[in-house]
Amino acid sequence: MTFKESRRQTFYMYLFIAPWLIGFLVFALYPILASLYYSFTDYDIIHPPRFIGLANYIEMFHNELFWKSVVVTLKYTFIGVPVQLLLALGFALLLNQTIPFRGFFRTAMYFPSMVSGVAMSLLWYWIFNPQIGLFNYILSWFGIHGPAWLMNPDTALYALIIMTLWTAGTGMILFLAGLQGVPASLIEAAKLDGAGRFKTFLHVILPMLSPVLLFQLIMSIIDSFQVFTQAYVMTQGGPNYSTWFYVYNLYTSAFKEYRAGYSSALAWVLLIVVMICTALIMKASDRYVHYEGGGRK
Amino acid sequence: MNTVPVPKRRAAFSSSGSKRKASTTQIISFITLIITTFIMLLPLFFMVSTSLKSKREMLKFPPTFLPESWQWSNYTEIFDTLQFGTLYKNSLIIGVVTVFGTLISSALAAYGFSRYRGKGNQLWFMLLLATMMLPYPAIMIPQFIFFSKLNWIDTFLPLIVPSFFGSAYNIFLLRQFFSTLPEDLFDAGRIDGCGELRMWYKIALPLSGPALATVAIFAFIYSWNDLLAPVLYLSSTERFTLPVGMASLTSSRFRIPPWHLLMVASVLAMVPIVTLFAVAQKQFVEGIVLTGIK
Amino acid sequence: MMNKLRLSSVFLLTLIFVAVMVLSGCSGGKSAAEVTPGTDNNSSKSGGSKDEQVTITYYTIDSEDRTFVEKLVPDFEKEHPNIKVKVDKAPYEQFDSKLQTLIAAGKSPDVTSHYGYGGFAEYYNKGMLLDLTDLIKEDGFSAEANNIPDNLIKIYTINDHVYGIPLNMYVTLMLYNKDMFDEAKLPYPTSDYEDKDWTFEKMVEYARPMTVISDDIAKTQYGLDFFWSERDNRPLYFGADPYSEDTWTNGGVPSETYFDTPEVMAAYNKLFDLIFKDKVSPTTEWSKSVAGQNGDPFVAGKIGMSVGGSWNLAGANDFPFNIGVAAVPWGGNDKVRSTLYVDPLFILKDSKHPKEAFEWIKYLIRADIQEKSIDLSGGNPPVNTEAAEVYYKHFEGIDPQDIKNVYEGAVKYGFESFNHLITNYSQINDMFINEMQPIETGHKTVEEVMPVIQKKVTDIIKR
Repeated sequence: MTFKESRRQTFYMYLFIAPWLIGFLVFALYPILASLYYSFTDYDIIHPPRFIGLANYIEMFHNELFWKSVVVTLKYTFIGVPVQLLLALGFALLLNQTIPFRGFFRTAMYFPSMVSGVAMSLLWYWIFNPQIGLFNYILSWFGIHGPAWLMNPDTALYALIIMTLWTAGTGMILFLAGLQGVPASLIEAAKLDGAGRFKTFLHVILPMLSPVLLFQLIMSIIDSFQVFTQAYVMTQGGPNYSTWFYVYNLYTSAFKEYRAGYSSALAWVLLIVVMICTALIMKASDRYVHYEGGGRK
Repeated sequence: MNTVPVPKRRAAFSSSGSKRKASTTQIISFITLIITTFIMLLPLFFMVSTSLKSKREMLKFPPTFLPESWQWSNYTEIFDTLQFGTLYKNSLIIGVVTVFGTLISSALAAYGFSRYRGKGNQLWFMLLLATMMLPYPAIMIPQFIFFSKLNWIDTFLPLIVPSFFGSAYNIFLLRQFFSTLPEDLFDAGRIDGCGELRMWYKIALPLSGPALATVAIFAFIYSWNDLLAPVLYLSSTERFTLPVGMASLTSSRFRIPPWHLLMVASVLAMVPIVTLFAVAQKQFVEGIVLTGIK
Repeated sequence: MMNKLRLSSVFLLTLIFVAVMVLSGCSGGKSAAEVTPGTDNNSSKSGGSKDEQVTITYYTIDSEDRTFVEKLVPDFEKEHPNIKVKVDKAPYEQFDSKLQTLIAAGKSPDVTSHYGYGGFAEYYNKGMLLDLTDLIKEDGFSAEANNIPDNLIKIYTINDHVYGIPLNMYVTLMLYNKDMFDEAKLPYPTSDYEDKDWTFEKMVEYARPMTVISDDIAKTQYGLDFFWSERDNRPLYFGADPYSEDTWTNGGVPSETYFDTPEVMAAYNKLFDLIFKDKVSPTTEWSKSVAGQNGDPFVAGKIGMSVGGSWNLAGANDFPFNIGVAAVPWGGNDKVRSTLYVDPLFILKDSKHPKEAFEWIKYLIRADIQEKSIDLSGGNPPVNTEAAEVYYKHFEGIDPQDIKNVYEGAVKYGFESFNHLITNYSQINDMFINEMQPIETGHKTVEEVMPVIQKKVTDIIKR
């Protein structure tokens, strides 16, 4: 690449990203730096922050609830993310075929993602109700005596994971949008070469979907590490700390314990860990993700 | 040479050979879909059914499946209980403006990140991702301090203005899509003497219909259902949004909440989202599939 | 071309840097100055001239039974032309976070109460509250003149300094399902706190015939649900105080706790026996399943007697069965039989107009306003004993005399709920809910769990 070309690229890049860049510097940077500063202080919101160095960071490694929240969150992420992605991809492939009522089916699949939180949580109480809930009713057809789900420490986390599967519609939409970019000519060419459905998927469709897949993988991990609302609304971190998620712990530290400093330190540890995960995934993805565009090769 | 790509309407997985007879795969898919759809529509059924129950019926155990007597009056009662019209209007204003702002700014930034290998691209992009990695409770206080310095408290500005500076999620999303656009198109454009901005809206945007539709849907739903930011930034009732109003129904620790009314509100709140989605998903039905340049 | 490009990129970067400088410059140093409480100049500020118009903010929960105060504002502003009242509000779940954010940003409301998770002791120990003693003296305010029982004022007095003025008072009482009593041919329980026959044992005896455990979920019902205050508070009912005496005078910091003593453990065992031995009370799982979204299985008509907060009365007019109110039976504690939940009004330390804020508080506890509030709020219990007479008559189908007896008995044998009085209470409560869960499901015994709880309570209080 010539010097002139590299200048040109830099100039246009900054020109296009300027809206975000300015927004970042104006709106995002101060809160981010402030929270970094708070993380080194003892700050109870009422009194001015007092610098205490790394004390917050050291404390968390001796804190029982911190470790509990780490384990719970990792479990949630490692089980929830793959299942959710597979389900979303499956739906998208199904709904990308020419079948009757396709628009209706797509809307229906996406429906749970549109419903506001409170309405959904009410529904979930009802579905997971051990006495009269739909879930255990269906299990009883197969002779299974279902657990108490949200009220049982062994199952509450899984109940929350099952809940998130209802919102696989979001991932489906993204895959669908990605599938529209797969040139039909490629698929036809694969067919002419005698590739089966599965082979076509693996060698033609999947590579074309890989940018979307990468996006979803990274976003699911970011979101999943930050899971909070379900625990806040449905289980309050219980029973017996079984849904005491990382961000739930962080929120409690800030607003129930008045420890904004410690809570900010938790946030920064999360940021660093997720950042490392993301960087690793991005790095690994260079080999697998297929970008058509010339910008990056 | 014609630089406008020749679009061909066809979905990627269509089985073009069997137009008359449905294949077994299609039948199996269809049955799977019907079952899943049934499960996915449970919330809708539940919401509508509950919204038509009486307050007294909500106390029953075991709960009734369908309302004993259909209380259509609940749908007018919500307008007496909450300033439902005002809430709706406010949410719509914020939602529509946010979608508009997000689309333009995110599409610009995503284009910059995906098409130009400028200095610092990687660094800025990682920073962009990093902004999503700090949980909201951690930046809530400093962000509020910042907006209160601008005197933006109790206005829509903190909820709207940031969207004009791009949302990290949507920039990342669009960047991924822009990266899949064939480079030949842009080369052709360049040869034809298109400016960079022109290529953005003449080539990149028209070819990203599904992705832009996705961003519009996501941005709208996010804004429409957001509770935390409006609760924090708005303090006058006449500026409240739908989620804030709905939260007030269940906020008393000392009363049994009017769940039936909450469900009425939820059902009514669905209308714009479902409409938007039904319209936008056509982008996926008629997704333009490129055949490349001849 | 080259130069042009370079020029514009230089320009762009400069623009960005200017933006950064301006922003970090103006916002960086602020937070600290913002938060410094202006206690020193409070008095000078409040002494402002009479004609100067001031606006005070009242921060409350965004729910019908709290926001009704907006309807009281116009009359207040008419009486006090120099004061404007702005009502700011948040849903229950966001009440604390919004309050703390407002304070951190220097936008502290003037008047509020502990409507969120945190209680008075929390606010007091964090130094959030303004000492009202001087204001009271200056104003000549007397609780007596406002018909507020003296012992209620004392709840929010620490070392002779007053920090809160009571507004509403909930008590612990028993609600009973008359239909279930009739069916079991039992006499109704008394509302008289002086009736010596009305004991815990008697209550359990009543509960037995009303308990039906059946495979048919629609038929299962229990005689008794005993939700006497929060978990850590319950041993007090049997006469075992788990916190040391100094807690109640030093602002809620116990020097010692006794959760692993035999007395306290015996008390807990007595409560869990109701579920596992006497089998007259439901398990938590059953309760939650039946209560569903309503939070209490009593409202589904599946519980004979429910001991709990008097807010359970609020929905009474909608219950599809007949109810009565009764006294909490004697359980071994001659002094305390009812937990009180007195919600006070505070002036926050950062208030710029404490004097005007105090006018607003005085207005809200005036007899006529308290009386008006009962109807506007849909049945909030006033602290003003004169207005209380109206409150007793508010509930259809329940004898006002019974409610009066129960309220007056509760005040006589009452103790303020621990959740208002002990520091770091929301953490203590969270810990109790989680640690006690295995006992509630029968997986662990009281003896196994209480020593752990004792240790954890000590840690939390030390924080």
